[in-house]
Amino acid sequence: MPDLIEEKVPVPPSCSSIQPRLSLKGITKRFPGVVALDNASLEVMPGEIHAMVGENGAGKSTMMHIIAGVHQPDNGTMEIDSQIYTPEDEKAAQKAGVAIVYQEGSLFPPLSVAENIFAGRQPDKGFGSVDFRKMENLSNDLLKELEAQIDPTTPVNLLSSSQRQLVEIAKALSQQVRILILDEPTSSLTISEARHLFRVLHGLSERGVAIIYVTHRLAEVFEVADRVTVLKDGKVTGVRKIGETSPDELIQLEVGRELSFDPSANPPTGDSAVALEVEDLVVEPVVSHASLKVRAGEIVCLAGLVGAGRTELCEAIFGIHPHKSGHVRVNGVEINPQHPLDAMKCSIGMVPEDRRDDGLFLAMSISANIAAANLKTITHGGVINRQEMADLANQYSDSLRIATPSIEREVMFLSGGNQQKVLLARWLAHKTKILIVDEPTRGVDVGAKADIYRILRELADQGVALLVVSSDLPEVLALAHRIVVMSEGKTVGELNAREANEIAILQMATPKQVANERGKE
Amino acid sequence: MSNTTQDFAKQRTENVAKENSWMNKMTKIGNRILNDRPILLIVLILLLSLFMTVRYPDAFPHVDNFAAVLLDTAQGGILVVGMLVLLICGVFDLSAGSILAFAGIVAGTVVKDLGLPPIVALLAGLGTGLLVGILNGVIITKFRINALITTLAMQGILKGVTQIISPAGVANLPENFKPFGQTMFLGLQSPFWVMILVVIAGWYLLRNTRYFRQFYYVGSNAKAATLSGINVKRVTVVGFAIMGLLSGLAGTLLASRLSNAVVLAGTGVELKAITAALLGGASLSGGLGTVPGAFLGVLFMSLIQNVLIICKVPVFWQSIVVGIVLLAAIGIDQMGNKKK
Repeated sequence: MPDLIEEKVPVPPSCSSIQPRLSLKGITKRFPGVVALDNASLEVMPGEIHAMVGENGAGKSTMMHIIAGVHQPDNGTMEIDSQIYTPEDEKAAQKAGVAIVYQEGSLFPPLSVAENIFAGRQPDKGFGSVDFRKMENLSNDLLKELEAQIDPTTPVNLLSSSQRQLVEIAKALSQQVRILILDEPTSSLTISEARHLFRVLHGLSERGVAIIYVTHRLAEVFEVADRVTVLKDGKVTGVRKIGETSPDELIQLEVGRELSFDPSANPPTGDSAVALEVEDLVVEPVVSHASLKVRAGEIVCLAGLVGAGRTELCEAIFGIHPHKSGHVRVNGVEINPQHPLDAMKCSIGMVPEDRRDDGLFLAMSISANIAAANLKTITHGGVINRQEMADLANQYSDSLRIATPSIEREVMFLSGGNQQKVLLARWLAHKTKILIVDEPTRGVDVGAKADIYRILRELADQGVALLVVSSDLPEVLALAHRIVVMSEGKTVGELNAREANEIAILQMATPKQVANERGKE
Repeated sequence: MSNTTQDFAKQRTENVAKENSWMNKMTKIGNRILNDRPILLIVLILLLSLFMTVRYPDAFPHVDNFAAVLLDTAQGGILVVGMLVLLICGVFDLSAGSILAFAGIVAGTVVKDLGLPPIVALLAGLGTGLLVGILNGVIITKFRINALITTLAMQGILKGVTQIISPAGVANLPENFKPFGQTMFLGLQSPFWVMILVVIAGWYLLRNTRYFRQFYYVGSNAKAATLSGINVKRVTVVGFAIMGLLSGLAGTLLASRLSNAVVLAGTGVELKAITAALLGGASLSGGLGTVPGAFLGVLFMSLIQNVLIICKVPVFWQSIVVGIVLLAAIGIDQMGNKKK
């Protein structure tokens, strides 16, 4: 085994006399329309477990991808052990000893654990034949070090997700890893599995491996990390030693601003009728308990971290995933949506999070996209009335100010903001009374954002009940009359627009435990 | 008295326990059979043979009939190895049958019309298949046209080319070309033995060698394979080249065995090869399959064909049965996917 694994160098973490294992200086990365990383720096010592935290969209993933060679920075330098490091792709990063453990996806499901660990590097016993016995023995040794009781001949698709993760780590170890990156590693683990993972990570760090641990669970940062870097809007807002900081300080650094917000822009609604009511809803496997109410004319924002179950809850209300138990009521009448058609009959509409894949017909015209949920009204005797279809499209493209030379233009040529307006127009034309909007302004530029906020407000003024999922806290605060916070599949609290602020929301949304209890036996 | 009653009761419990463990064992064996495709196929083949032996004792259990079944596996067995390589890699080739006919005509033309030595004709047949296979692979990887469309187009193109070269085929091939396909050994013609060599070679290579294991990696996760240093495009081209080469081999052998290169040879064999490979445990989603399984799939299909002939089922019905078996094989594949 020693030939496969880095020599043991017990190093006290963050000891200033030694060279950093990895250092990033002044890294800037722009994507069309956004600066994902702005002059960001990072230093990780050998044997250090370095946590990285930040809100959704703060630039954590971009930074990980740059280190792993997926993206190349526009500016800035990277060094590994004081050597300039410029990986042109993921393979070059692997050669330099950088391994990234994704949630899933880098394994070969039908193949054995051993073949997964040694993919592309199987030991050879001559004549190009794979030495299966040696490969399995080596795998066994690696897995034993990780205290993983996995038979190396098992196909990976029969393993649990925590076992798969350990296989990925074993794979990284077999490649003489110097820098191990884990991206939200505990999101699908039970508490005991997470504890096991932490033990493994401490073992690796004692051996000198530098570990970067990306997470949104602050409790884990304090349990496993030596230091933590906080990112916000692509900038590093702080580097702290664990023991010299607190969760509250980290949240402050993540949010980073005293928010200026004018609640008078959001006059609270009166006691209008409850249009949508969800009570004790359970949607397997993510949503374990959700209750909320949306009144006619009200915008309720569903806040929470990625993976909290917000999208799943919305999809259950819209009939995409049937719920297991609990109640959905529309205007006080219980419904049991099994298919989006059921929800549409109750005049519920939904604008999905991924509009390109789940919402739009990209190669079709604006008018056809708007008509998609409204074909019944413009079809007579089985024939679509082209004129009515055009009228419908013109009416809404005018009122929503869709910027296009013609309603016959294919939606793939529109900007993100205009595409979003097309989807909103589809439901407006459907005379929807309850509209669910998942991430209304993702990938939309600033000007169109304001437009979309205006449209959503106008809809509310017209008496539509709006349930908006957003991971963008300033957006939540700007838009909502009320905020319902979800965490780990549960609705955990409710805030009035007047009393809400980002810190209060994040404190509610951040899981209190090290890992969720989902799947715990 | 009470003693005997107790003994009796005890014995009964023991019997029940025995029966239970026996039941457990049977369930275990049953599951093993259902989950291990090669074993399931062997069981089905044996049951079908047993049934036929009892039902048609005059026609079925005879050396000649067995020889016919085995000879029938020759072509399918050669092709299925190539098709299996591709299915493992996550793709397939619908032009295999057309390559087979084309290669046969090329070999026949070379040996008869050009009068060149038979070994040259054999190499020409093999080379033709290899080139078409490489062409398929290059089109698919370079121009990113999917394998279904590329090989379907190639099927049509080759049918046309074959007809142009030789509208009526090449009949009465010279004597010196016949040994390739008509040499008898242990009561079976040479194509069967060539097939056995191909199957054994394919089995060894796909099971043991690093190079051929790459097909499994590519088929189960192409992106991860690239990241593991596997040249996915080149591996894919090699897969199609192997399929082409084996189709060329099958076509040349068939022409030699029949002393006649037929334009319509190989019609539909690609679907049979895909069916057999899927029956043998391969999957349309890639990464799965073994040569023994795929070969047993071919044997099973040949046996079904033989059974249908003996039962005097009309030819059209035979094609319906092949279609149904294909659907069943894909259905089983889908069910397996769902479970995962």
